[in-house]
Amino acid sequence: MSTWALKTGLRCAALAATALIAACGGGDSSSGTSSASNVPGIPGVPGTPPTDRPPTQADAARFLQQATFGATQADVDRLMSIGYNAWLNEQFAAPQVQHRQTYDAVAATLVAAGQTAGENQFYESWWKQAATGQDQLRQRVSFALSQIFVVSLNDSTVANTPRGVASYYDTLARNAFGNYRQLIEDVSLHPMMGLYLSWLRNEKESGARVPDQNYAREVMQLFSIGLYRLNPDGSVVTANGAPVETYDNVDIEGLSRVFTGFSWYAGPNATDRTDTRFYGGAAVADREILPMQSYAKFHSTSAKTFLGTTIPANTSANPEGDLKTALDTIAAHPNVGPFLSRQLIQRLVTSNPSPAYVGRVAAVWANNGAGARGDLKAVIRAILLDTEARTASTDPAYGRLREPLQRVVNWARVAEASSDSGRWLMGRTDDPGSSLGQTPMRSPSVFNFYRPGYSPPNTAISAAGLVAPEMQITNESSVVGYLNSMRSWVQSGMGSTPTGATRRDIQPNYTALLTLADNADSLVDRLNLLLTGNTLPSTVRQQIRDAVNSVSIPAAGGTAASDARLNRVRLAVFLVMASPAYLTQK
Amino acid sequence: MTSKYTRREFLRRSSALSILGTGTPFALNLAALSSAAAAPASDYRALVCLFFAGGSDTHNVVLATDTTSWTAYQTARNTGADPIALLAAGTPPNAGATINTPARLGGVLPITPLTAQSGRSFALHPALPWLTSQFAAGRAAVVSNVGPLIVPTTKAQYRARSVPLPPKLFSHNDQQSLWQSYSPEGARVGWGGRLGDLLVAAGNNAANPLFTAISTSGSAVWLSGQNVLQYQVGSSGPTAIGGMTGTLFGSGTASATFRSLITGSSSQLFESEHAKVVSRSIDAQARLATTMLPAGTGGVPNPPQYTNPATGTLATNGLAGQLQTVARMIGAQAALGVQRQVFFVQLGGFDTHDFQNREQPRLMAQIDAALQYFYGVLASLGGRDYTGSVTTFTASDFGRTFTTNGDGTDHGWGSHQFVVGGGVKGGDLYGRFPITGLNHDDEVGSGSLLPVLSVDQYGATLGKWFGVSDADLLTVFPSLGNFTQRNVGFMV
Repeated sequence: MSTWALKTGLRCAALAATALIAACGGGDSSSGTSSASNVPGIPGVPGTPPTDRPPTQADAARFLQQATFGATQADVDRLMSIGYNAWLNEQFAAPQVQHRQTYDAVAATLVAAGQTAGENQFYESWWKQAATGQDQLRQRVSFALSQIFVVSLNDSTVANTPRGVASYYDTLARNAFGNYRQLIEDVSLHPMMGLYLSWLRNEKESGARVPDQNYAREVMQLFSIGLYRLNPDGSVVTANGAPVETYDNVDIEGLSRVFTGFSWYAGPNATDRTDTRFYGGAAVADREILPMQSYAKFHSTSAKTFLGTTIPANTSANPEGDLKTALDTIAAHPNVGPFLSRQLIQRLVTSNPSPAYVGRVAAVWANNGAGARGDLKAVIRAILLDTEARTASTDPAYGRLREPLQRVVNWARVAEASSDSGRWLMGRTDDPGSSLGQTPMRSPSVFNFYRPGYSPPNTAISAAGLVAPEMQITNESSVVGYLNSMRSWVQSGMGSTPTGATRRDIQPNYTALLTLADNADSLVDRLNLLLTGNTLPSTVRQQIRDAVNSVSIPAAGGTAASDARLNRVRLAVFLVMASPAYLTQK
Repeated sequence: MTSKYTRREFLRRSSALSILGTGTPFALNLAALSSAAAAPASDYRALVCLFFAGGSDTHNVVLATDTTSWTAYQTARNTGADPIALLAAGTPPNAGATINTPARLGGVLPITPLTAQSGRSFALHPALPWLTSQFAAGRAAVVSNVGPLIVPTTKAQYRARSVPLPPKLFSHNDQQSLWQSYSPEGARVGWGGRLGDLLVAAGNNAANPLFTAISTSGSAVWLSGQNVLQYQVGSSGPTAIGGMTGTLFGSGTASATFRSLITGSSSQLFESEHAKVVSRSIDAQARLATTMLPAGTGGVPNPPQYTNPATGTLATNGLAGQLQTVARMIGAQAALGVQRQVFFVQLGGFDTHDFQNREQPRLMAQIDAALQYFYGVLASLGGRDYTGSVTTFTASDFGRTFTTNGDGTDHGWGSHQFVVGGGVKGGDLYGRFPITGLNHDDEVGSGSLLPVLSVDQYGATLGKWFGVSDADLLTVFPSLGNFTQRNVGFMV
């Protein structure tokens, strides 16, 4: 951040936590058309206007591009009317739709037709919810969590149980507005995590055999504390010029003994937990969606030392007790707040948050104001209502590159797309050269599609000491895949074309935009608002406006005129979504 | 970190960079920076880094088979729910055995290094028959127990932390980065890119410096130099951006607007960088469209499927597909006027914490078939034999533990790697092969190998063949000066 932003951040630090953001002068008065004046309300008096309404439509749209998978005019209007905090409360209360239930319903129809369900049924459900879900905040935060607590269908074992992956995503979504301590427990015990990081059926040491260390390592490196000790503002603690490490191999060995003796759900009774079931046989129904269970016989009874905690050696195995001690220890580590707050800010708001911003959010992580630690609702509120999120910055390093999946869901929402089949028939979108280089829940490894610390070499970004995680999947090949795909989808819709159908399953409905097609300024302004929060530079806006005007609408009307209007809408949408100014969320 | 970032520093650095980032031929700038005489090499050479993502269990790739070693190996690994010990040399493959068991594969394949190691005998994984044959023919070498080191390190020194050690040992992302760049995750310059910097500064690739460092597998820090940028080509070659000419959504002029928008300059950092990537993509595709050999008939033949020896089934060889793209690029070198290129190809799936018997044979067979295919097509690219000009070396995050966790292995440190191609003094095993077993001086716990050779020594040996001077190698490989042996000797 620039010095200017840092100063602003400090000035607003106290206010951010209580979210009285309007008082910090957040908002860009130069852009957007204001439809709601910011009338101060009378606290506690029903019927008075909220005090925290976005000053302009542009401010509302900027917020929504951080908090949702894309602004619609209805979203903007709602937020303008009720204000930020009420909107957040509404979203926190919005019911969750289970991907696993959608998966099961579609699977049943497929089975009835002599087919089988597979990974595509998860992707379909993901696209459907991301594009059309009313719980947009949950959608966006769940996707962020899926890029931190990574499980991947790219893994040949996990790929066998896509229903389990649907359930895992539901687990993230369920905990998105809960508490971190419960989240890390549910993540740890989900059998898809057990499979992915190979701690399901991990056995205690015996002879030359040692426990699998995979989960012990990654739960610390990626899901909780990271490699280096952090200050409360996320900066790295150093000693003699070198970063101070949070753990070493002794901690890994100790913790790996905790993560032994758990395997597939076997049933309600202790006698259900047979050796056969531990090793994967005699499967019971739904085991891929039920939390793993402990099998005491396979759990280590040795002493377990990690992160300054020691579980003494015991005579009878205590797998659940050991797990509780381990997760309590991890969740209480002072690194968790700054480590994960920074990543959530990067996923939602900006790639290079100031230390002060991270510090303010981490303080809420440590204490939500009512003494609770790890309250994710409070953390999300702090991230989104912080002055550094709410201020339309002119800093050349502010913002983040939109990732490919986010862009395409943005399109589906602004185009009010719908699925002919109702299923949203999307498959993998992996290939960078011909598609998006990104499929939900198909990261190449547990290190996600990109790393939070990635800085593209030989660029002004790295020269400035900044990071741009999403640039890790942006290259000479991927830019082609995105632009060519988008051009095709804007024109012809996306998804597969079912047998017997004449068009792709997911079709845009440009009705609302077509009403603006005769006036290029209005059309481009609407897209500028909804897709970028009015951040297109005026020269770019003018270039697109002129291009739209180059498609003339025949005065005679008829089909030729309606075709021309459709072309104007397609062209405007495509050019906005192709422009680097849109591709960077600011 | 952001705290270091000041507007003045940003402006200074970005203006310096913008010279390189725009249309200015950056070879000119490099020539101006270099004191070396600018003259391109008279021959063509390429280095191909074949990276095994996830950490390869090379305890099962290069094995000591003398009785003492083999007994220790079986003791450690022929145990657990799904024993990962391979079978003795000479055991025939049993197609009737349970799939994904070592019995399906048959025994390990003996190799006889030219230089004997006292009392030891050796073999390769049973799914590497082509590499075994190339070793025997003198066209492939094994480099033993190589890994990141800062100084020569003994186990006692490691335990006492009395010498500087590489940071974040055993961590995937950091060790991948250390192998490629000598720094943990976040590094911005790798040694492949630095070799490229020096060779370009010396006058090579003047017409097309963009094609100095090329990845078929996404971003790899190994390829990034201080000046050289990595060009990331699609695994099946470059594709054109459509819509930049002709009619776009009913407009005859919007295609020009489209091109202008996606390549337009901006003061916003991310926008600016994105536009530069798009510009490079357009430029590279245009140049390659007329120079790159076609895939398939009349160009570089398509790779065949490979057989997974653990199941007997045929599968597409994605690694061979990447190497096909590399071969198509190498076939364009004369037309592009490039003399020195570094390539990065990658295969994932090596993090065999479990199901190692299912995964490792599949991976080994894919590697073996891909390399056989690659050197087959290199023998005749546009009528020229490139096998003597292209050296492929392997690398991975780390080796793995010697112990098994029942059906897999955990993160280790040192590993054994292959070097293949015409520039290789093959048929030999370089470096002292470690003791086989547990609790000895060559391991640091659970049989994780303490490297004897450093990545610096490994890379410098390759860099010397590539044409970089001894003095420059010391600038590319920051710890090389800490080792007395600066050329391991496996290259001509």
